Amino acid sequence: MKSMSRIKIYLLVFISLVAASAHAQTTNYQVYALFVVNIAKYSSWPTTGAEMDIVVFGKSKVFDELMKQNGKVVNGRTIKVRQVENITEVGQPHVLYVADGKSGAIDEVMKSTEGKPVLIIGEREGLFKKGAGFSFVVMDNSTLRYDINSTELEKRQIKVSKNLSALANSTI
Amino acid sequence: MIKKFSVTLLLIVFGLPIFGQDLDSLMNLNAYTEESDLQKILNKNVAVSTQKLTTRETPGIISLITAEEIRNSGARDMIDVLRMVPGFEVMQDLQFVMGLGLRGSWANEGKVLVMLDGQPFNELLFQTVALGNRFPVDAIERIEIIRGPGSAIYGGSAEYGVINIITKAAESLDGVVVYGTGGFHSGAVGRTNGGVMVAQKGDEFSWDFSLFGGKGIVSDQRHADEIYGYPEMDLANETNADPMNVNLGLKYKQLTFRAMYDQFKTSDPILFISNKNFYADLQYEWKINDKWQVTPHLKYYNQQPWTYGTKDESPDFKARATRMLSQVDALYTISRKASVTFGALYFQDEATDLLDDGYFGGAQSMTLNNFAVFAQGLFKHRLANATIGFRYEKSNRYDGAFVPRLALTKKIENFHFKVLYSQAFRAPSLQNINLAKTGSVNPERSNVFELELGYQFTPEMLLAVNAFSINTKDILVYSSEGVDDDFVEWYENEEKSGSQGLEVVYSIRKKNWYAHVTYSFSRAIRDNTVAVYEVPQTSNQYIGFPMSKVTLNTNFNITSKLTFNPTFIYASKRFAYTTLDDDENPVCTELDPYVLANAFLNYSNLFPGLTIGVGAYDIFNAKPAIPQAYLGDYAPIPGRSREYVVKLSYQLNFKK
Repeated sequence: MKSMSRIKIYLLVFISLVAASAHAQTTNYQVYALFVVNIAKYSSWPTTGAEMDIVVFGKSKVFDELMKQNGKVVNGRTIKVRQVENITEVGQPHVLYVADGKSGAIDEVMKSTEGKPVLIIGEREGLFKKGAGFSFVVMDNSTLRYDINSTELEKRQIKVSKNLSALANSTI
Repeated sequence: MIKKFSVTLLLIVFGLPIFGQDLDSLMNLNAYTEESDLQKILNKNVAVSTQKLTTRETPGIISLITAEEIRNSGARDMIDVLRMVPGFEVMQDLQFVMGLGLRGSWANEGKVLVMLDGQPFNELLFQTVALGNRFPVDAIERIEIIRGPGSAIYGGSAEYGVINIITKAAESLDGVVVYGTGGFHSGAVGRTNGGVMVAQKGDEFSWDFSLFGGKGIVSDQRHADEIYGYPEMDLANETNADPMNVNLGLKYKQLTFRAMYDQFKTSDPILFISNKNFYADLQYEWKINDKWQVTPHLKYYNQQPWTYGTKDESPDFKARATRMLSQVDALYTISRKASVTFGALYFQDEATDLLDDGYFGGAQSMTLNNFAVFAQGLFKHRLANATIGFRYEKSNRYDGAFVPRLALTKKIENFHFKVLYSQAFRAPSLQNINLAKTGSVNPERSNVFELELGYQFTPEMLLAVNAFSINTKDILVYSSEGVDDDFVEWYENEEKSGSQGLEVVYSIRKKNWYAHVTYSFSRAIRDNTVAVYEVPQTSNQYIGFPMSKVTLNTNFNITSKLTFNPTFIYASKRFAYTTLDDDENPVCTELDPYVLANAFLNYSNLFPGLTIGVGAYDIFNAKPAIPQAYLGDYAPIPGRSREYVVKLSYQLNFKK
């Protein structure tokens, strides 16, 4: 009986620690989301419409942060954020944010959005070399930056402002 | 500073409509959440790793001790500091000179490299580092410790570990500090130490000058030693531990120069022992471009280590040891994700008998020529940082040693891991070669496996656990027999020794308090062949080492100026040769576990710049004895009794 209560105490401590760990996230996804919104703000698409459709492909805490921007207006378009797990659900959003865990599916992403004006942003560093229009990079001083694949953006007829391009860590 | 700015910026940015933002402002935003006080310590790049990696990603098991922790704890000397570090023990070498044990093994002779502002304190004759009332603890900015091998980068004195001590004057001070410590036992003065530091930091030219000196004792107990052979004496009157250190640093642009003189005079009830070391170190950090940095070094050491003799008589041993060393190392940054450090060095050691006795094999002097090449590559990947390195060292007196090193480390959000494999070696020193029983000795070599897992439960709380396995082959062992004219001492390569174990570190740092809890466990390897390390009672421990040690260091900020810092150390039972039997053979006995409890109150800025601290060390009067780390004719040094400590320091910063 005593050992049962002891196990319960251990379990309680373990659960408390795991619960505490959920609040100990060290990556600042608020900043990632801010970058996403600003990349969208300083880009233009060949299509017209009232909405700015942002899709998060895969699980990422950036979705929670982007949801805080849901309904706000950027360049006359209302931000509409959704999250999908399956590539078939992606559709043709303005911005497709590829979560770190879905980086391995970048080829499928490229295939399903080929030729479409979809601005792909990779959470994982280096994804711009595999076709994403933007991908994030954490600098040595821990500041967040991005790399740009301008060739891919041109193919998709997405224009980004000179200011946005000028601040890229690297561009191909 | 950047982080604070980032948070403020983020609040402003998210508080405004998203149209109103300046793109440039985004470039200052940090990819990580604001650092907690604990993270600020952990995320600082560790100089001892030679590469720009934080504590949690450095390819080594790291302990960091800050000036704040030393000040709050009231540490009297390096013994107090190192006792709080997992795996470290302080043991007696001989002649009441104390040295380091690490992870269950004796590590004083060339196994742990100890540096003060970059200058190695392992003397050139035996490679030992005498501890005790020696290092200026109140002048220390931080101590970086690798609790594992560092031979690939640091060479043949870093087989088991590296301790890098950085003083405030050399690192951060821009002003003047005067400090003093008094330690008082019930019947004796334990120590009176004092020092002064002056340093000025400029954009192009910086300089620092430090002076430290003091007087102390090794123990305040009355004691008789049947093994060594002295009647009961009052050790407070018969022993001393008197340090002196003069330290000068100059820096002009990338050119740095440091000169240091260190003297440590100590004694046992019969003999006096002195160590005198002079260092001069010139280096130039030549940043050719963004990719290349080349650093040539020139170093000269002139020492008189281990001069000893009967008190009030001429020394029985007095020798000078010099080293002239030239080294070039380079850092090539291939990309943001890859870099390579490599270099080569050559040095000549020379020992000269100052007593004209032909001590070195009938000659007055002997030389040792040594060269080494080393390289270490760091490749950062999102899944792991890989470190691959090696060192090759060759001397005219012994076979070459090639030691590779492999490490995988990574911090992934709250979790980090380190998988480390190192070969390490201890290069035979002048006296190892001179006193070789069989005429020559080889470098001893260690195979070391380490695994660390760590998890940061909250930004203020980190738990890290590591396991290690150390196997040392051809271990260089000192032995002696006889007394006076019949005294003989020698070194020889024994087949094997080593240890296995684990270490746990739990740190929590809140706004008004912090605590570090550590547990370390070590066990002797089953097939140890070094008889002088063994005890008859068990094959699990070597002489003098506890199997388990627990430490607790807690600090409470009672007010913004007043701190209260209790510390506790528990060590399990140990074994030591304490007396002689009827046939005059040494008898090994079990020493009871001990608890050392200490408490220190510190009041900062009593007047601007003036800090005062008072405390008591060994409150319960446990007096843990300090055993000799091998069977070598000395009973344990009786531990000192409760010591009341008073510390004063005054700092005046220069105006900018």
